Amino acid sequence: MKDLPVISSVGPGDSETVTGLSDDTLLVMFAKGDRQAAAELTDRLGPRTYAVALRVLGNRAEAEDVAQEAMIRLWRMAPDWQQGQAKVSTWLYRVTLNLCLDIKRRKKPLDIDAVPEPEDSAPGPAERLQDEARHDALQVALMQLPDRQREAVVLRHIEELSNPKIAGIMDISVEAVESLTARGKRALAKALADRRAELGYGDD
Amino acid sequence: MAMTETDKDLEAFFAAARDRRDDMPDGLAARMMDDADRIQQDHLVVTDPVRSRPCLWDQLQSLLGGWAGMGGLVAASAAGVWIGLAPPEFLPDPAGLVFQQQEDLELFQSFAFNDVTLEEQ
Repeated sequence: MKDLPVISSVGPGDSETVTGLSDDTLLVMFAKGDRQAAAELTDRLGPRTYAVALRVLGNRAEAEDVAQEAMIRLWRMAPDWQQGQAKVSTWLYRVTLNLCLDIKRRKKPLDIDAVPEPEDSAPGPAERLQDEARHDALQVALMQLPDRQREAVVLRHIEELSNPKIAGIMDISVEAVESLTARGKRALAKALADRRAELGYGDD
Repeated sequence: MAMTETDKDLEAFFAAARDRRDDMPDGLAARMMDDADRIQQDHLVVTDPVRSRPCLWDQLQSLLGGWAGMGGLVAASAAGVWIGLAPPEFLPDPAGLVFQQQEDLELFQSFAFNDVTLEEQ
């Protein structure tokens, strides 16, 4: 029977070794069989992928599927990755947005403007409720934006990426990114202004 | 430029969203790692034969039975050459046969030459 190659087992000290490495170095290590590299990439990029998918889709289950599929594509692509040619995070954000777009295209037209249900109605401290309300209100307002505006606003103001990086992810010019985010912010402000008193923002 | 009240409002919403952006649902990270393990194993199984593919010389050596087979082949070849050049008495001498043919040819030519010489005389 043919012996399978052994994937390196990692001791407790090795996690510190990989934390200082770049994403693309970790990806090459992953392709060579380093399991700790996969764990570090999952820690770094998994939450980013899920957060963007959740904000763009407004649906937890779909966002989980997209995030998992985006990471699968990352793992599969690893052996072919050319170090230094692009940033891994840029590639992954782009894949994530494309997967979100695929899901939205598959949905029925009536579902496109669907907004998520409030995520947590359980009683809790007043501040937490206010935070939840803000969170939900922002998501409702985000879902009212056109897709490209929503993507640009999420990447700029929640993921806090630079405009040139967003331009690379969305494959548009920096000026187009600025225009999308400016229009998106105006639309969000208008949608949220109506709920300001209701959310008790002035009580902070 | 000072932030307007609306900008401050909006920034508070974004800040609340940023506070949650590192949260992943239970089990999602584990599923991502399961995928990574499976795909990593697939990569290694697929790429391992390529990585360890022997060079042409190694393939030839293997085909001929390794060093032992190669040694036997070399010995047999050397013996064949030696027998060809210096055969035992009970075997015909191929080198001698070749030389014999050349001598016959020369003999024939010399006869022809003698005939011509005799005719002239």
